[in-house]
Amino acid sequence: MGQAKQEMKLFVLSRQTIAVVAVAALAAAVGCNRYSEGPGKVVNLTAATKIRSSLVGQTAEAGGEQAASTGTGWATLKGRFVFDGDAPAMPPYGVNKDEAVCAPGGKAPPQEYLVVDPSSKGIANIFIYPRKVSRVNDAAGPKTDPFLFDQKECRFLTHAFAVSVGQPVEIHNSDPVGHNTSIAGQNTFNQMIPSGDKVPYSAKKEEATPASISCSVHPWMRAYMVPRKDSYVAVTKPDGSFEIANLPAGEVLEFQVWHESASGSNHGLAVQSDETKELKWDNKGRFKIKLDPDQTRELNIAVPASAFGG
Amino acid sequence: MLPVWKWVLARRFSLAECQWHTLGNMNLRSPSSLGIIAALVAALVGCEQAPPPQFHLNEMRMVENETPADYQQEIADVLGAMFGTPDQPFAFPESGLTQTRLTLAAGAAYNDTEGVSHGLYRRHCVHCHGITGDGRGPTARFLNPYPRDYRSGVFKFKTTFAAAKPTDEDLKRIMHNGAPGTAMPSFSLLPNSEVESLVEYVKYLAMRGEMEQRLNQYVYDELADADRVDEKGNPVLDENGAPLKGIRLNPAANAGQQEAVKGMMAEVVAPWNEAKDQVIAPTEEQIPKDNRPAEEIAASAKKGRDLFFSPQKGNCFSCHGPTALGDGQQNDFDVWTKEQKAFLDKTEQLKQSVAERDEQKDLSDDDKTALERDRRLVSEREDVIKTFYPLRNAIPRNLRKGIYRGGRRRIDIFARIHQGIPGMPMPGVGGSGPGVQGTLTEAEIWNIVDYVLSLPYEAISGPQTALPENVAEVTK
Ligand code: HEC
Ligand code: HEC
Repeated sequence: MGQAKQEMKLFVLSRQTIAVVAVAALAAAVGCNRYSEGPGKVVNLTAATKIRSSLVGQTAEAGGEQAASTGTGWATLKGRFVFDGDAPAMPPYGVNKDEAVCAPGGKAPPQEYLVVDPSSKGIANIFIYPRKVSRVNDAAGPKTDPFLFDQKECRFLTHAFAVSVGQPVEIHNSDPVGHNTSIAGQNTFNQMIPSGDKVPYSAKKEEATPASISCSVHPWMRAYMVPRKDSYVAVTKPDGSFEIANLPAGEVLEFQVWHESASGSNHGLAVQSDETKELKWDNKGRFKIKLDPDQTRELNIAVPASAFGG
Repeated sequence: MLPVWKWVLARRFSLAECQWHTLGNMNLRSPSSLGIIAALVAALVGCEQAPPPQFHLNEMRMVENETPADYQQEIADVLGAMFGTPDQPFAFPESGLTQTRLTLAAGAAYNDTEGVSHGLYRRHCVHCHGITGDGRGPTARFLNPYPRDYRSGVFKFKTTFAAAKPTDEDLKRIMHNGAPGTAMPSFSLLPNSEVESLVEYVKYLAMRGEMEQRLNQYVYDELADADRVDEKGNPVLDENGAPLKGIRLNPAANAGQQEAVKGMMAEVVAPWNEAKDQVIAPTEEQIPKDNRPAEEIAASAKKGRDLFFSPQKGNCFSCHGPTALGDGQQNDFDVWTKEQKAFLDKTEQLKQSVAERDEQKDLSDDDKTALERDRRLVSEREDVIKTFYPLRNAIPRNLRKGIYRGGRRRIDIFARIHQGIPGMPMPGVGGSGPGVQGTLTEAEIWNIVDYVLSLPYEAISGPQTALPENVAEVTK
């Protein structure tokens, strides 16, 4: 009996306590957590005030920052990327739609995320280009001839390519099914390309790294395109070779090397070897090189499997 | 009962006005009263010490670029210089934004003695769109679709070409109408001046987000790994004679950086100023009249139907499905989710690679350093992933419901079909810029508009070819 009474009392007490705790908890939850404050850094007002007056006030003449173009003459960079190991086998694309067209005879085309030629071990589809140049040779200006970008059997026929800013691109669809071509990045584009038809496109802005191209109707379709202001850009051929001619000599050029499956920062292709160390080749897939006039510098890079992820 | 959050958001001043009134007729035992007391307690005690809300950096992008913490601080400072804080926004001169409008929209919500509403964004928008405009307010997680993250500057429902920004009119329209079928409410009861202030504030948050990403990229490309040089341009060496890396981001002390930062801002602002020249202008004579006879509309809709289901023409059915219930291609994502998914996938890859290397014996010292670095990276990435909301596919609209997020006027549907829906899988069929050839003609697009508007009344005929569960998914 007595015990039961005590329990009752406890119960009453705890009800009050619960109420208080609930109020406190609610207060904490409702009151002080109004905004989902992310973990990201926030401003330091003193520093910001100083920067503001420098940006808004009369600024000093900017000078001396522009990399003066010191060199003269032109040079060539060429070479080959080879895979250090057994060529990986590419599994077929995961076709689960429009099979009659996209997997003719029940056979889907192989994927292209790391295309290595079994005999030469050359790695295809690596992008390589200088990030900036101070001079452009007359022969290396932007391209103006139309570029044909086609799709067939639900596969982009060019998997990796470079265009010039403003260069006309004709997007074709040689399939009996409709596709849409969706280009990511600063030159976004997403348009229906009807069966057997073509649609014009051109990139207005230079990209620092290639933009992906996909089709939302057939989500496995994938290609990569980099628009550049000049034609100092190469994509490795099936044997892994590339060549960029007429580069400005006598200045330090920083090259970007990029591959869709590279495990470096932002898909930069990072390679560690004695030769690449000399070139200060970093985890972003960038290296520095200075060419002499009329020089043809050859780079032969053996890329280990570990430079690619997944 | 008034929603508690409204009070709390407005608490600084307006709460004081209403608390007595409500206390008067409050049942102190009801659970809702507890909530009110809680809010009061919070308002009076708990939060006086709460710091003012702050803009936070986009952690996912900072971690993706491996931007070091000291650079993140510098980026936050430059952004603070150019945009101010949530309580004290700053209209950077080159931004074209109006200071008075920003001031009215920003800060804590209250009414001044003349009855002018202040803190409009926090009063009306923040609980969905978040302080930073990241679409992550306290309510956001529970909504489908999630509220818009303004920071990438991509907007869906507009009258301009797909790659262009929305016009002020476009943003006003979405605020006036809301986005039917989503949580985005209509603010048609707000006076025009308040709507204009809010539009200004949305653009401000978008510009801030775009500028943040540019600064982040600038640090990545030009500063974090660059060789440090002194005033004369000579390399700075450490005590062992090795060149030091990393140039600080501080435009106050570096004229070159000042120019660079202003240049980035000009690039961010230009498309906003150009938007009004990027409006899709349908040819006047081709716009169908409002008072067409029923037969004419039916004939046009029939043409539209053929285009809708033709792979050689509209190809709409490939996503919207053979029955237009939205049950075609359902496994794509919008651009905001794609970025998170890429981040997730890369983290998975890195985790796997760390696990593999953990198994290996006799790693070189360099390899060990790299392994530790990657292990740290994985844990940083996982911290970011913890903040993600569940990823959802971008589901094509069920066109039989007759609910259009971007507006139900014919001209609205015309704009959606002409340019597609930016950020979403939905492609356009009109030209991608002024004077550029499109897939379909304007007349054909108007035919499809007529068909789309008639779809909710069309019987579903023929056998149901879609998977039943898909139908259930999109019609519920
Ligand atoms: C209840 C939640 C909620 C509130 C409150 C809210 N929004 Fe939204 N808002 C949304 C959602 C959800 C979307 C996304 C709709 C979609 O993607 O279809 C959205 C989208 C938007 C868009 C993007 C439109 C486009 O074309 O892409 C803008 C601009 C916007 N909201 C502004 C505002 C402003 C300004 C306020 C305050 C006055 C506000 N919203 C309040 C939920 C909300
Ligand atoms: C690649 C897939 C895809 C194709 C092809 C496609 N759509 Fe869509 N459509 C979508 C998605 C996804 C949405 C939902 C967008 C959103 O949630 O904001 C949508 C939304 C819509 C809407 C709703 C707009 C609104 O305001 O709510 C209409 C109307 C529409 N589509 C018509 C069409 C027509 C007509 C075609 C053919 C010309 C077409 N779609 C082709 C994916 C597609």
